[in-house]
Amino acid sequence: MIQLILFLVIGAVLFCSLYFLARRGSHSEGGTEALLEARTALDALRVGLLPPEIIGRILAKEDMDYMVLEAPAGLRALFFDERKRIALLWVGQVRRQVISLSHFHRHSARFYGQLRPGMEMRLAAEFAGLLLACRVVQCVLYFTGPYSVPNVMEKTAGAATRICALSEKSLGFLRPMYQSTSQ
Amino acid sequence: MVDIAIMLKQMDVHRAIQDLQNRTLAGYPRALDRLIYLASTRDYNTGVYYHDGLAARFTEEVACQALADCHRAVFRELSSCTLKDLVSQVEGYQNSTHTNLAEFITAWRKLEPYRVAIPVESDPLSAEFLFSNLKIALAILETHLNTPPKLEPVSWQRPSLAQ
Repeated sequence: MIQLILFLVIGAVLFCSLYFLARRGSHSEGGTEALLEARTALDALRVGLLPPEIIGRILAKEDMDYMVLEAPAGLRALFFDERKRIALLWVGQVRRQVISLSHFHRHSARFYGQLRPGMEMRLAAEFAGLLLACRVVQCVLYFTGPYSVPNVMEKTAGAATRICALSEKSLGFLRPMYQSTSQ
Repeated sequence: MVDIAIMLKQMDVHRAIQDLQNRTLAGYPRALDRLIYLASTRDYNTGVYYHDGLAARFTEEVACQALADCHRAVFRELSSCTLKDLVSQVEGYQNSTHTNLAEFITAWRKLEPYRVAIPVESDPLSAEFLFSNLKIALAILETHLNTPPKLEPVSWQRPSLAQ
């Protein structure tokens, strides 16, 4: 009787393991989706968020001068609040896309033999650093506003661009695959 | 074969864009006017752009593509213009509608019509940035309601008694 119970327990454990492994497997098989997500994140960062002109536009000195010199004094607070909101939105989006990209590298990249472990380790460290930097920038922007620390945003964008270049290099082999899946 | 068909369609779209810019859009001096006009050619339910003249000259598909491309270009232009320029564009647009400034500001604040005037695939940051600038522009224009008109230049001032 005890042996029967023992075998049943072992059977149940094996069944559960099989179930969870199958679930993980089916999740990872949705690789095309993960690839598209990674590529979309990369494109969103490179085209929509990181070009210097985007940050230059958010922190345009011309606009600040206009508000300080020509606009009524009462509206300056509104202007600085709005710019702060946009700067925070920018950091938030950079962070979200970086998380999406790092998610791909952490969960899906191991299924692709072409990736180099050294490069992936370096990327993991860079991702962690950038995510931490984004949090710090969010705090700084929240308390001081974007015009007090213009270099912080530029440096964050610089770090993110460097990571994008690494990730792009690492995911270079995906380009033809992505093109064929997106068509 | 497919590549040639795509290339021919692209050439048609390019010609349709030229046509649209030279005829219809040339009548709108400001990017804001063009943005609102192009948004008005889009069906809110389907997101498809219609233009009878262009569709007759080319095809409905080409016309739609040309309008969408122009809409994106105008959105980029408006997103990258300075705050000062945007204030003058909103003011110019308000004048062209012949509405009362106070009513115009109230309506734009409450209805925020510009939110439905942007291209569908605009990136959220650029869209929010434009909305934010428009919000500030409306606030600046509102101050014009309460500000007395500027003094005439010195040469036009009434001569003093001493003169």
